[in-house]
Amino acid sequence: MEDDAPFEKIAISGPTLASLIQRSISSPCDIDGLLFGHVTRVTHSSLSDDSSSPSSSELLIPTVTSLISSSHTLSFYDPLGRLHLPSLRRLLPPSPAPSTTLLGFFIARRNTPLRPSMREFAVSLSLLSQTLTLDPKDPLSPLLSPSPPPSVFLLLSSSLSSLSFHTHEYRAFQLRRRSGDPALEPRSLDVVNIGPAFHSQYSAFSPNSPFPWLPVPTEVGGEGEKGRESSNCMRRVAKEQQQRGLDACSQGFEVGRLSRLMGSDAANYTAEMEDLYGKMLGKLESLARAVEKSSAKILEQENRNIKLRWKVAGSD
Amino acid sequence: MAIDSLPPLIHAQLSHLLTHSPLSIKVDRIWSGCNNSTYSDRFTLLIPFCLDYIKWDVIYNAQFPMAAPDIIFSPEDEDFLPFLMASQGEEEIPSTKSSLADWNYKDPARLLSLIHELRDIYTSYQRKRVGEIDDARLKFEINTVLSREGIEVYLVSGSEKPEEVKFAVPLLNMDLNKLVHGCPWRHQQKIYLQVIFPVAKKYSLAPAPRIKLVASSELRTFFSIEDVKLPPWLDGMCMAEYLPTFEENLGQQILEAVVSVNARRRFIEALAPLFGRPVEADPVFCRRATVLAASGVFTFLVHFSIPTQFPKQQPTLMMQSSQHFNSQGAPVMSRPIIDFPWSPRWEASQMVERIHEFLVEELGWFEGPRGVAIWREGRSRWVPCECCRSSRYLGWAFGKEMRKCAKWKEGFSVACRRNSIFPGHWSLVLVENKSGPESMKKG
Repeated sequence: MEDDAPFEKIAISGPTLASLIQRSISSPCDIDGLLFGHVTRVTHSSLSDDSSSPSSSELLIPTVTSLISSSHTLSFYDPLGRLHLPSLRRLLPPSPAPSTTLLGFFIARRNTPLRPSMREFAVSLSLLSQTLTLDPKDPLSPLLSPSPPPSVFLLLSSSLSSLSFHTHEYRAFQLRRRSGDPALEPRSLDVVNIGPAFHSQYSAFSPNSPFPWLPVPTEVGGEGEKGRESSNCMRRVAKEQQQRGLDACSQGFEVGRLSRLMGSDAANYTAEMEDLYGKMLGKLESLARAVEKSSAKILEQENRNIKLRWKVAGSD
Repeated sequence: MAIDSLPPLIHAQLSHLLTHSPLSIKVDRIWSGCNNSTYSDRFTLLIPFCLDYIKWDVIYNAQFPMAAPDIIFSPEDEDFLPFLMASQGEEEIPSTKSSLADWNYKDPARLLSLIHELRDIYTSYQRKRVGEIDDARLKFEINTVLSREGIEVYLVSGSEKPEEVKFAVPLLNMDLNKLVHGCPWRHQQKIYLQVIFPVAKKYSLAPAPRIKLVASSELRTFFSIEDVKLPPWLDGMCMAEYLPTFEENLGQQILEAVVSVNARRRFIEALAPLFGRPVEADPVFCRRATVLAASGVFTFLVHFSIPTQFPKQQPTLMMQSSQHFNSQGAPVMSRPIIDFPWSPRWEASQMVERIHEFLVEELGWFEGPRGVAIWREGRSRWVPCECCRSSRYLGWAFGKEMRKCAKWKEGFSVACRRNSIFPGHWSLVLVENKSGPESMKKG
């Protein structure tokens, strides 16, 4: 069997790493999730005076640009580390942004040694092998069977030694098959950041983070005319609701107003601009409020879920 | 943290593992991975393997106590990939039959079966590693010996130390737990021969292996492996050659140990007519017995500790006063006494009779508070008393030997008197110190 090409390093954008760490601290327990990004090919050629034929080797650098995190472990695989495709489908966006592929997955677990566990190895292996055997008609296949297959594993472990010290450790691995034997090989994690020192890096880096995908719950209609009708009806209602939401967002920013910035009305340009700006700020503020409120509701629901889970588990 | 800090479901599984496993698994530490650590959910297990322990971290999730655990192996075992090994068909347990495949959180035996299943895979992983070593002697040993039931091998490798292969060979095909009636051992007892082979460098002479006999500490009350003499490992020897004769020899010694238990039981039974029924006795291995004795108002305990080599070796006696205590509040004890008349050929009743007779003489030093004070000094010695011409022994604590107690040094006088509290007649010798107990202590 041919060996997998080695990664030179694994790159991650600063904000992505920061959000990953933030996610892992704020979660009450261990979490996992998927990593997305793109792979750059770098060709190194070594010219030496001694050898007549210059040798060149191709190296890959996967760059993590976005992630999807679940609120617990075992979110897309079973205890044995085998992939659970329906859960994976639910986690993945239906239409991925161009040039974004699934690179691998991460696990954030607290107060544990920074070594891959039994299950983490199994998950990496099944993620790698499953994508190779996926049916091309499968909706997952465009995302899951890129070249190279998803083989990045990011392991985070944070520990709280005292109230004043939080330690966040992370290690990146590449699952690589060499002469048939797969192994998780540690790779250096390169954090791509904004700043003068990173300028050249950043300009060479395409920050592809698509707008978060918000799934609209679509009920699958029953058989027969009636079912189809009702599902059609529901779809129409959903569409109308969506349109209404979008309208609410653009209220006060009609295209007509933009015309006032040109022509004879341009005299009032500054006032108009200020008005638009002020309204926009107001909208942003209300948006922030809405986010805050919904976050509080989510937290409340999560706490309720925890209590219910503990009740079931008898540890109330 | 204590085991009670685990959520009930996880607690049930861990305590089932600790109480029901035939291996003596230990918990190294328990800690939490949660933000609000009301519950702990991770622990390190020490699992016996090849006469050593392997450390595995078991990672549960306190927020989801119904979910199956994950395991992180020790850093030396980074290449141990149980699921991969199992899926490659090298194991009898295919991954689909693993206890993780359909985890049932309600079943407290699940963790036990998971750990045992993984330990089995680990055993074959170590065998595979040892099998891959390029060493002709080891290859030969493995081919000849590895078919023995229960044998375990372990490759010790590290950058600093030279590579070694440890063999743990279970000896004697007999159930030690069934040899002694009423045996309290929870775990199956086995005696192992540990053989450590250094991995030979190419073209160098293979050094002899290091051999050691290993058994659990529980077995010590029945059979002391320290007393077993290991035959020397001759040049060019192999285990298949070494084991049979040694095993035969060891089996013989085990049978002798069973005979010794019966001899000890007869000895303890013989204590009753003279000393009264023992206050305390070890009924299974008959290694200990304690009797209560009295002389006048003075009462004391006599502890008998009986060696595994009984009756070849005599018991050790200790007297413990039930009326005098030292400055720490512990009862005053005598030194261990073994210099009483003894012959392994005597009947049990005669042994007890002679001990009884001897103790009655010892009592002289036990009776008064002064005698106790001498004990505390720890310099008590026994010399024949010539004052009453009975060739008895009398206590002595003053550095110099003096046989004629009637002509004692100035300041001391010695008197004999008869005592009839114990059956039989004997002489008691009292030492009186005219200058008071303080000077006696200094003396």
